[in-house]
Amino acid sequence: MTDLLAHQEGARCLLMGNEAMARGALEAGVNVAAGYPGTPSSEIIENLANAAQNGRLYVEWSTNEKVALEVAAAASFAGLRSLCVMKQNGVNVASDFLLHLAGSGTRGGMVLVACDDPGALSSVNEGESRHFARLVEIPLLEPGGFQEALDMMKWAFALSEKIRNIVMVRSVTRLSHASGNVVLGPLPGVDAQAVFRYNGNILDPMEGPVISMPVTAKHGLQQKKLRQAVALFDASPFNTYTGPDAPEILCITASAGYLYSKEAIDLLGLEDRVGLLKLGTTWPLPSRLLAKYLALTHQILIVEEVTSFLEDNVKILAAGMGPEIGVKTIFGKTDGTIPSVGELNPDIVIHALLKITGVDYQGVPADYTQRAETIADTGAPARDLTFCPGCPHRASFWSIHMALQMDNRQGFVCGDIGCYSLAIFPTGFSTLKTVHSMGSGTGIASGFGKLGPFGMNQPVLAVCGDSTFFHAVLPALVNAVHQRSEITLVVLDNSGTAMTGFQPHPGLSVDASGNAVPGLDIARICEAIGAGVRVCDPFDLETTRQTLFDLLESRGGVNVLILKKRCALSPERKARKDFKMSVDQAVCLGSNCGCNRLCTRIFRCPGLIWNKEKKMTEIDEVICVGCGVCASICPSGAVVKKEKA
Amino acid sequence: MHIYGAKQLQEDVFGQDLCIGCGACIDLCPYFKSHNGKTTLVFPCDLSEGRCYAYCPKAEVDLDELSRQAWDGPYTGRSLGNFREIIATRAGKKMSNGNFQAGGTVSSLVASALKHHRIDAAILTDRDGLKPVPRRVTDWREVVRCAGSKLMVSPTLAAMNHGLRDGFSCLGVVGTPCQMTAVAKMRGNPMSKENFADPIALTIGLFCNWSLDARQLASFLSEKTDVSGIRGMDIPPPPANVMVIETGNGQLEIPLSEIKPLIPPTCFICLDMTSEWADVSVGMFEGRPGWNTLIIRSEKGAELVQQARDAGFLETGGMPVDTHMHLSNAALEKKQRSLRTLIRRELINNNNDKRSALRVAPGIVQKILGSKTERP
Ligand SMILES: Cc1cc2nc3c(=O)[nH]c(=O)nc-3n(C[C@H](O)[C@H](O)[C@H](O)COP(=O)(O)OP(=O)(O)OC[C@H]3O[C@@H](n4cnc5c(N)ncnc54)[C@H](O)[C@@H]3O)c2cc1C
Ligand code: SF4
Ligand code: SF4
Ligand code: SF4
Ligand code: SF4
Repeated sequence: MTDLLAHQEGARCLLMGNEAMARGALEAGVNVAAGYPGTPSSEIIENLANAAQNGRLYVEWSTNEKVALEVAAAASFAGLRSLCVMKQNGVNVASDFLLHLAGSGTRGGMVLVACDDPGALSSVNEGESRHFARLVEIPLLEPGGFQEALDMMKWAFALSEKIRNIVMVRSVTRLSHASGNVVLGPLPGVDAQAVFRYNGNILDPMEGPVISMPVTAKHGLQQKKLRQAVALFDASPFNTYTGPDAPEILCITASAGYLYSKEAIDLLGLEDRVGLLKLGTTWPLPSRLLAKYLALTHQILIVEEVTSFLEDNVKILAAGMGPEIGVKTIFGKTDGTIPSVGELNPDIVIHALLKITGVDYQGVPADYTQRAETIADTGAPARDLTFCPGCPHRASFWSIHMALQMDNRQGFVCGDIGCYSLAIFPTGFSTLKTVHSMGSGTGIASGFGKLGPFGMNQPVLAVCGDSTFFHAVLPALVNAVHQRSEITLVVLDNSGTAMTGFQPHPGLSVDASGNAVPGLDIARICEAIGAGVRVCDPFDLETTRQTLFDLLESRGGVNVLILKKRCALSPERKARKDFKMSVDQAVCLGSNCGCNRLCTRIFRCPGLIWNKEKKMTEIDEVICVGCGVCASICPSGAVVKKEKA
Repeated sequence: MHIYGAKQLQEDVFGQDLCIGCGACIDLCPYFKSHNGKTTLVFPCDLSEGRCYAYCPKAEVDLDELSRQAWDGPYTGRSLGNFREIIATRAGKKMSNGNFQAGGTVSSLVASALKHHRIDAAILTDRDGLKPVPRRVTDWREVVRCAGSKLMVSPTLAAMNHGLRDGFSCLGVVGTPCQMTAVAKMRGNPMSKENFADPIALTIGLFCNWSLDARQLASFLSEKTDVSGIRGMDIPPPPANVMVIETGNGQLEIPLSEIKPLIPPTCFICLDMTSEWADVSVGMFEGRPGWNTLIIRSEKGAELVQQARDAGFLETGGMPVDTHMHLSNAALEKKQRSLRTLIRRELINNNNDKRSALRVAPGIVQKILGSKTERP
């Protein structure tokens, strides 16, 4: 993590996109920042939390995205500048409040940063947050580079205060996680005072109660402000045009699409034929600006990732301005010139431009990636996604899988979002049979658990992590208990939001900036809700399995099993081996009948290796973290664990 | 005998609903597990040949091969199998009283064998409430604790596998005919292990016409009584037509028509009513409560009975011709019924790579199907 406060005005630094945005917020004098961890967004809050340790800035990891947005909104209502950060699908979670917030308006500058993940590199969806800006009628800004990420953040706060409403800034993985040179601006002094005023007229945006009613009046006001934003956008330096005065093709793009388009035009040497209009303000579109550039040519290519947000909005504008700008041929996602799924890259843009211009260019052929992967497959062994050595989830799913198989009633597990989602793959013995959004595993299980009268007699389980438990499992669990659903919830409690980098959550007694806070006890919460609660150490395979049998056989309502063990990568467990492991080669059964490589074929901890020549299992000393679990699964006692002094 | 692996066992036995849950494949390795009377493959195993398949009494059982191994001759199809003598028996004075199913012959023979060091340990079947639980017993005085029939599928042979893994080399096993078949298959060293020494010193087989699915019986009975209080169960001879359940507060009678649907389908492909591969076989003595029918088959069996009687563990008596004939007819009927099912389900003597549950010389099949039950 870079110390974002260490550098002074004018310094040139290499910053990650997320760091640039965090620095931008600091330069804007942000007072409160809240978020929920989610790749690719997490570093923004992490960096601010770091900066909060020596300044007047309050930063929190909230229970979920909706709460984060509410916490940040309160600061704005009190006149402070506030920031809220989340990943794309987090906006779905926050969206109900977002709609009402947009209706009530804000006071101190308030910015919502959403980081999307085209290609779902770290997600189970390719969701798009951009549509929310249009849906709830708030301005949307999209940085197209690292410097812009910083500058745009600063500007977003000012814009928010001009229109007295929340402004959305959207980034993508390739921008958030890549690094580039950024020139820093000044950091303001801190003198903000928080006070919430509410005695004015209900229509007074700064003095009255903050509420979206009277709805039509406030809605009208909101739209009026949005039109003001359009006027500002028409003159915004974040919207730039490069290219000839009379281009053959106008390429309209935003965000990472800008970088890909620029590179494609360069590589093809089409600077004289293709004009590049880069938009930084993508909702509402700057209509005057667009009218000017759309008039330059009749061939328009729209380059953007995933869905046709920009394309659709440009088409609507172009249709309305038809008499003024003439009829256009628009290339993009609708006609298949640009794919509608996955990330973009310069090659895709090159092929789009080739298709339109007919230029002959021998670059990387379109099927290059696919061919390269095929060739790579034959050479290097395919690498599965796998749990880390010593991961408690491997042990937990071992027991869950075993218990369900032995129970033999076609029981199944509804999954949730976290590292443990990997249990849809062989590393978790393919135990999970559904995975959707945060908290949905328990909600779906709650529904399955009511299907008994329709003849369903399969045991129903759900799993969730400790962070997910607080995020969105709680309401589903309450529902299951209240509706007398028959389910077992297994909480895989590894004491932290491991998947996104150990951010704290309400179950822990430390906050985002390292201060002591009360940690909430999951077991006591579940008991209070009315569930039967058991707690086990997942490394104790025998007890865990037996407990699962008890729960599977107990009839009546909701049971919760908490499998508690720190993540293998947690600071507390990292670099600490509990046991020194070895394999007694005289005892190892290897691939013989009686074992058939249970450890390296099925359990598959990366710390275990199969020596093909010797036909024996060995421990990889470097990778093994000494958890000792493989000693419990070995049928012959060949794996020996020796306590570390 | 043809041997395959876990994948084929899964297809042939589980896929065709033939698993009886005998326990022969349990805990030989980490892959087959038993829980509440059901056997499951918990993870895939890709070996092409394994002990699971080799021992299973429902997969590729070649009766000629078993017969040659046990009696030095081909399988004859005789109703009661190969035997020396059939007598009436019950526990002798030396035996402490127990909750015996009938005469306590099984418990007495096991106790005597342990006491006289014919075996180091006995593999028996205890109960936990209703549930049958495999048990290894080494002290002859503890044998009576396993008395009484649990008329359900029991993974008893898992305890045999544990015993072998723990180094026992002189075991006695008590079990149903399917379990005796599995033990016989295992004793033939089907995997051609080097330095194989037969670890089984004694087999005591039970008579069995059918057993009950443990899970189905538990859920059936749990609607009628507290299953944890069940102490015993019996099926009295005709014309009673009921199953009697002994509970903490008296007897519960259930019509056999309600019980019969709980018989696992695999019992209807079973040829053996009297544990033909055991050293001795024990069943009820119809019409003489408190006594057993004992079939002495092997030389070892004869010696065991002799010794038990001499030491006061066993009391013997004669067997009326009528009873013998009844038994023989019942055994024949079971063979004929099951052969017809095996043929209908194409589970017997298949050719061209199609695997079979059972292989019997075709002439013998015809002979059994053509036999007539005897009349007094
Ligand atoms: C499933 C089943 C079906 C039977 N069907 C018939 C029948 O149709 N006709 C008939 O004459 N006899 C049948 N018997 C045998 C009969 O019930 C008695 O076991 C036999 O007569 C011996 O009586 P005993 O008094 O000597 O037994 P005991 O001295 O009471 O000893 C009984 C022995 O049986 C063993 N045992 C109990 N339950 C099981 C089980 N589920 N699996 C394996 N071993 C077990 C115990 O280890 C114990 O050692 C059946 C037994 C079983 C288990
Ligand atoms: S599980 Fe044990 S016996 Fe089997 S291969 Fe691994 S170390 Fe060897
Ligand atoms: S002890 Fe075994 S299971 Fe644990 S990390 Fe080492 S090899 Fe993996
Ligand atoms: S050996 Fe026994 S328990 Fe295993 S599959 Fe065969 S019948 Fe079932
Ligand atoms: S083949 Fe051997 S190792 Fe594989 S399941 Fe069967 S008994 Fe187990």
